[in-house]
Amino acid sequence: MLIVDDETLARAIMAEHLAQIPDVEIVGQAANGFEAVKLADELQPDLIFLDIQMPKLSGFEVLELLGQRAPAVVFTTAFDEFALRAFEVHAVDYLLKPVEPARLMDAVARAAERVRSRTPAPSARELSAAARPPGRALERILIRHEGRVHVLAVDRIDFIEAQDDYLSFAAGGKRLRKQQTMADLETQLDPTRFVRIHRSFILNVERLARIDLYGKDSWLAILSDGTKLPMSRTGHAKLKELIG
Amino acid sequence: MHPILQRRSSLLLYLGVWLVFGVLLAVVFVFGARAPALWSLEFAVPIALLLGLQSLSFWYLVQANPPGDTPVVRLALTWLAAGVVSLIVWLAVAYAWAMWLTPADEAYPYEAIGTFPLLIFAGAIGVSLAVLGHYLAGAFQRSRNAERRALELQVLAREAELKSLRAQLDPHFLFNSLNSVAALIGQDQAAARQMCFLMAQFFRKSLTLAREQAIPLAQEISLAETFLAIEKVRFGERLSTRLEIAADVREVAVPPLMLQPLVENAVHHGVAHLLEGGEVFVGARRSAGFLELVVSNPCDPDRPPSRGTGVGLANVRSRIETLCGHRASVDVDAGESRFTVSILLPASGAASDEPVMRAPSAGRHVGAATHQS
Repeated sequence: MLIVDDETLARAIMAEHLAQIPDVEIVGQAANGFEAVKLADELQPDLIFLDIQMPKLSGFEVLELLGQRAPAVVFTTAFDEFALRAFEVHAVDYLLKPVEPARLMDAVARAAERVRSRTPAPSARELSAAARPPGRALERILIRHEGRVHVLAVDRIDFIEAQDDYLSFAAGGKRLRKQQTMADLETQLDPTRFVRIHRSFILNVERLARIDLYGKDSWLAILSDGTKLPMSRTGHAKLKELIG
Repeated sequence: MHPILQRRSSLLLYLGVWLVFGVLLAVVFVFGARAPALWSLEFAVPIALLLGLQSLSFWYLVQANPPGDTPVVRLALTWLAAGVVSLIVWLAVAYAWAMWLTPADEAYPYEAIGTFPLLIFAGAIGVSLAVLGHYLAGAFQRSRNAERRALELQVLAREAELKSLRAQLDPHFLFNSLNSVAALIGQDQAAARQMCFLMAQFFRKSLTLAREQAIPLAQEISLAETFLAIEKVRFGERLSTRLEIAADVREVAVPPLMLQPLVENAVHHGVAHLLEGGEVFVGARRSAGFLELVVSNPCDPDRPPSRGTGVGLANVRSRIETLCGHRASVDVDAGESRFTVSILLPASGAASDEPVMRAPSAGRHVGAATHQS
């Protein structure tokens, strides 16, 4: 069992309560999301108690980074109405702090059942999308690249290119790859800042310098750093509608 | 906007009064100067209405010379000049009108010439009444405006109070603090007790301060200190604080719960998002007749400014604007890795001077201010 919370006291009381439950062993404690991801990989716990509001990486983001290897998760929060709604919708187990020992016991029992039946972890992306306050778009992208976690703020993205099963994020001349589909990402981005100008390209509108006509029904988007991206007819229409 | 021209009905009423004035004038002509009745009406009514229309312009002079703020001599001279000019213009038009009314082949009637001294007299009275009337209208409108503004201010202040009250009862803060208490009970009972005491003090202070119009800065600082003490228990070593409060600003009167939201933002939207934490700085000093308050905190450069900060800050800004108008300012410096809010408020010259905003009687708060942790 792994306890993840940025507050020392919150971890302490969780550990204290868990110590009362038979057959429970605490293998580690993490004070932030990065540590959590690292420890979860190293220690392979059966269950993680994951705080939602933490610096740099939220609990949802930790779950997203763990991906397919994610163990059973019980979220913990003091108060977060949007997160609670998301948990209800996706039937995810959670605990409210301060945690009642009896409820904790139930949560552990249910998690043990999930581990036995090999119930897959909830989709982190769906969950975090549901927990986002309405009208609020994705603000950063999490990328695991060569064992390191990159947090990419969306305004630093120049454009996104689809490459087979991967998305390639171009930001300031560098490229980062992540396994995700174009359609999935497109729905999460702020539609007033990011436009899908082509089947394989999403453009950060702020980077657009000009549009050149390339041929009949096809255009080139010229970015402020000189990069040229193809633009389809529907992409051109969408962009036109946005920037007038 | 001219109060009479604003609505059709008031313009008609105004002209109606002048119509009566015209008819009276005609009666005076008939009986005083033995002028023909029909001629008198034809002559007097249009010029009375003309005087009325001319007098409408007095409104702008009333606006330019409000009775309270203008020296009496200037006021008298202004109106004398305006009255004379207005009267001369009016008499010239009246003369032309009289000439036009009289057929060319007829000799100019003796009666009409006899009316002219009367006309000057009546015109002078008419102009004076018009000036007086406009001053009354002006005073009426001013008092109505003042009433409306006072009402608006009241509504705004209420709203701000409600919002800041809700902010005080931030559920996240409350539940996290309770969780800390629960954890401390197992580890360190004295610390748990201390935490309960701090929380009680914080909520009590918030509730009492919210009811006041203005409080000495020392009380606001003490509330912030209590808040930071609670958060230090929660965040441990990740949160450190530095307070630099000049001794001569402690008694300056400030609106309550204005510093508090900024300090909360500094912790919840600043330090809380840093892995290693950081230092929250709160400064208060006097600078050229103003009270300068500064709240500054490190922040995560990867994190876009969150909306919560915007709401808290906007709330503080609108309250300060409502209370102090243009004499105060709120300045935000959102740097890459540091967030700083500076507030300038009007402050009195010395602590014992009468503050700009009325502070409540000192006796009620002595108890709260002395119990510091």
